[in-house]
Amino acid sequence: MSVLLDVQDLQTRFQVRKGYVYAVNGVSFQLDQGDTLAVVGESGCGKSVTMLSLVRLLPPAASIENGQVLLRGEDLLQLNLRQLRDVRGGEIGMIFQDPMTSLNPFINIGTQMAEPLIYHRGMSKSEALARSAELLGMVGIPDGEARLREYPHQFSGGMRQRVMIAMSMSCEPAVLIADEPTTALDVTIQAQIVELVKELRDRSGVAVIWITHDLSVVAGIADRVIVMYAGYIVEEAPVDALFEDPRHPYTVGLMGALPSLAGETGTRLTTIGGSPPDLVDLPDFCPFHPRCPYAIDRCRKENPMLEPVIDASDGGHRAACWVDIREVELEAGAAAGSV
Amino acid sequence: MTTQEITPTDDFGIAEASRTNLWKDAFARLAANKLAVIGIIPIVLLFFIAIFGPYLTPYDFLAQDFTARLAAPSSEHWLGTDELGRDVFSRILYGARTAVAVGLVSTAISLIVGLIMGSLAGYLGGRVDMLVVWLTDMTRSMPALLLAIVINLTLKVPLEAWMEQMYLATKNGFFRQTMWVDLVLVFGALALIQWPGYARLIRGQILSIRSRNYVLAARALGMPTGRILTRYVIPNAMGPLIVAVSAGLGGAMVLESAFSFLGVGVQLPIPSWGKMISDGLRMWQTHPYLLAGPAVMMAIITVSFAWLGDGLNDALNPRQWGG
Repeated sequence: MSVLLDVQDLQTRFQVRKGYVYAVNGVSFQLDQGDTLAVVGESGCGKSVTMLSLVRLLPPAASIENGQVLLRGEDLLQLNLRQLRDVRGGEIGMIFQDPMTSLNPFINIGTQMAEPLIYHRGMSKSEALARSAELLGMVGIPDGEARLREYPHQFSGGMRQRVMIAMSMSCEPAVLIADEPTTALDVTIQAQIVELVKELRDRSGVAVIWITHDLSVVAGIADRVIVMYAGYIVEEAPVDALFEDPRHPYTVGLMGALPSLAGETGTRLTTIGGSPPDLVDLPDFCPFHPRCPYAIDRCRKENPMLEPVIDASDGGHRAACWVDIREVELEAGAAAGSV
Repeated sequence: MTTQEITPTDDFGIAEASRTNLWKDAFARLAANKLAVIGIIPIVLLFFIAIFGPYLTPYDFLAQDFTARLAAPSSEHWLGTDELGRDVFSRILYGARTAVAVGLVSTAISLIVGLIMGSLAGYLGGRVDMLVVWLTDMTRSMPALLLAIVINLTLKVPLEAWMEQMYLATKNGFFRQTMWVDLVLVFGALALIQWPGYARLIRGQILSIRSRNYVLAARALGMPTGRILTRYVIPNAMGPLIVAVSAGLGGAMVLESAFSFLGVGVQLPIPSWGKMISDGLRMWQTHPYLLAGPAVMMAIITVSFAWLGDGLNDALNPRQWGG
């Protein structure tokens, strides 16, 4: 498979009153055609900022300081606004976390869905509307033609997310970026949305970047996983390797916080104490060490690079940690314990 | 999994009840609001009188009848006559013109200024935003009536002198009508007092709408900025603006009355309700109808605008659209 999207050393920071907050610090990853990449991490780990940086949809205070975003070899960070608009919605579709507020309440669904088709595909209004009705059927909303005349407030949350998916997929993008699309939805609807995206992916061959903090979703949809912490990728692995053989303490911590059907009843879920740091300086230490039960002296002095792990079951398995956590026996209860 | 299985069934309830156009929806809501409908009637009447008043009045507003000075209300003079024997009812009808003109023109001016300043502040942010906010703060920190008095005192004489010069230079009769000076000063003062409110409202609307998810979503779909402004930002900013304008129209009329009451408003011979109130106040113990007529009219119109504004607020409030 050919590399579709190649992100190299992406750095994004926010200007704040006292200086800068470093949100994305040298993130590199590749996405193949038809592949699904999951990006996991707590809130505030730079997942969304990374994805917004790809298409330069950042708030005014943020700026991309370094890096390349190569889509089929073309650097999106060098495009002018007009070219970039053709990429947004045309080559890269996005869906967002909160479907309740992602649609314009003042325009009916049809007009809203037709706009990108008219703009990117040069369709006439009637062609675009006909296509929109088809798209609604594709995302599981029956009676599309009638529903095109309705307004967002006449749709439920799950339905609106379906509309958003239909809109973002309408111009047949090569990449679909889904920024926590199921977080705001009921569990049953979540499963439906995940199934829908999988179905659309398998049918159209779109590559998907799925941002989430829900590892159970990751297991169901992703081919590969990136774990982000404090704006760094701390572990990257094929999905099976990550679940069977996690190598970064943070990944272990995230998995410990996940309830399991197979586990004994009565066991407690572990939590990761503390919260991600506010990066007002680029750290010269491992940003996770204050919360890490495995931390050694070196962690406080040097920030580890993302490097291939030893004895990897898969060549693409990389982690950024000084410690080989398989060799460390933790005291009972200390795993991912309190700070 | 087939399409059928993933078809959501959670779409009944509020959604079914209201599958109509959004503006129609808002209109239906407004029509169902009794106070708003009651408020609309005097407002429609006011505009009707303002347009057709001169054809409706039994007397000319300047016509003096010295045989019937300070006459009590009768079948001949419905609301009595003032100390110059002028028919109060006719003067109230003419006064509607002043009120409507003042309301519309001053609101239009302040709205335009407010729109420009507010949009600039909202879009551009940074220094422009700081400057606009500072200007609105400065303007609002000055007492409105004091500001109007200062404007009137400092600008009226030079403006009249300039008009006289223009008349001498051009021999154009227009420059002899000093009532234009009054109107310009009153409109100017009202607009100066009112624009900061609109500017801040629009600035806030733009700031809040710019960061809404649907704007981000539209940008993510590659929509051009102009289209996002006209289709996403402006329509969503309209609701509160319509409400503010409705309330502002009534507010401008009351403010003009206050100006007239203090002698810096529209000067005779154009009847103004505020001027009539201030004249009537001198004799309210002996001839209360002189005060009652214009004051009651003023009160009805103000309350009507307030009710309509409330009704519009409810009808256009997105939080009440359900979902």
